[in-house]
Amino acid sequence: MSLDSERCVTCSDDAVAATVVAVEGTNATVEADGRRERVGIELVEPVAPGDVLLCHAGIALEKLP
Amino acid sequence: MRYVDEFRDGELAQKLAREIETLVEPGREVKIMEVCGGHTHAIYKHGVEHLVPTEVDFVHGPGCPVCVIPMGRVDDAIALAERPDVVFATFGDMMRVPGGRGSLLEAKARDADVRMVYSPLDALELARQNPDREVVFFAIGFETTAPATALTLLRARAEGVRNFSAFCNHVTIGPPLRAILDSPGLRLDAFIAPGHVSTVIGTRPYEFIVDEYDKPVVVTAFEPLDILQAVMMLLRQLREGRCEVENQYTRVVRRDGNPRALAALEETMELRDTFEWRGLGWIGHSALKLRPEFADWDAEARFELPGDRVEDPKACQCGEVLIGAIKPWECRVFGTACTPERPIGTCMVSSEGACAAYYNYGRLARPRDTVPA
Repeated sequence: MSLDSERCVTCSDDAVAATVVAVEGTNATVEADGRRERVGIELVEPVAPGDVLLCHAGIALEKLP
Repeated sequence: MRYVDEFRDGELAQKLAREIETLVEPGREVKIMEVCGGHTHAIYKHGVEHLVPTEVDFVHGPGCPVCVIPMGRVDDAIALAERPDVVFATFGDMMRVPGGRGSLLEAKARDADVRMVYSPLDALELARQNPDREVVFFAIGFETTAPATALTLLRARAEGVRNFSAFCNHVTIGPPLRAILDSPGLRLDAFIAPGHVSTVIGTRPYEFIVDEYDKPVVVTAFEPLDILQAVMMLLRQLREGRCEVENQYTRVVRRDGNPRALAALEETMELRDTFEWRGLGWIGHSALKLRPEFADWDAEARFELPGDRVEDPKACQCGEVLIGAIKPWECRVFGTACTPERPIGTCMVSSEGACAAYYNYGRLARPRDTVPA
């Protein structure tokens, strides 16, 4: 995930919480700290705008409560 | 910012620090390994080591995938990148990692088509956009990153994208921890386990550390307060004579992980018999390869690779840093011949590497430590 540019993207533990702005098929546009990115959501579906997802390397790993 | 500000509250940090103070026995050192490079980075970025008593010693573990990749695999990546038909897609952090034949960045300077991506899904997109080229993704990372590769492979198969493949170097966190626990002479009292790897695999895979090695484990997140709370929980376990896998990161991590992520991994990848780790040597069942059903998307099956083993540079002591035997500044080339601009060892390349974290945040030694002249 590039939302936190300070960290190393290969770090297996670098995931970022981001809010869903829109859902399109198996992808969602998420936003964190004013930056937007598209992530795959197959592992956490169903997803709706407003949900907060833990994102890493272009996919959502978990939905946050 | 939600999920950040509440975990960086200075007053709360001081309160936790005071509580931690009451849990240590003066003069009795407690060695806590933070397994994950993300934790190492957070500890030095936020100065967490200055908030805990000097009795608490953080030992930096092997949880930085960039740091543990052996040089021979980097050479294989360069060989792939130098094929004229290949577009080689990699996370940016891998670009400067030195192999025996230089780095991917140097290969790019020699005209290899190396592209930086943030996700394997971006590499798949590159394949769609370049149907006459072979796009190879340098798949690297622990169980947090591996599901992204798995999902990409599943999409590639579903969409019939045949010019995409993965050069798989994904590794698993459990076996290197066992290797470290089996290292002769190593003294560790407790473990801080990685929060986001655990989002995928759950807390169950750490139970052997408690059951077989009698070392407490706390799974935790990455904000300074998370790490301080994990230290407090570990010290309490030690003080009360308990030995458990505790979960500080209950807001995300479950005992059984994310079943859908595990299913995607299971469908696309299987354990290798053995894999070489920089500094730790060959460790059985510690890495993943693509299943034969995904041979059409497996760069190792589709392309000829040199596959040579390359010895680490003699001056480099990354191996000892990675098992916590020495501190980064005790390495003979730290900050002199080896810097983030011109790294010799991998621990200096990644911002999560222990050496880079020390170098970038100016942490050389705590008061009780001595810095060589």
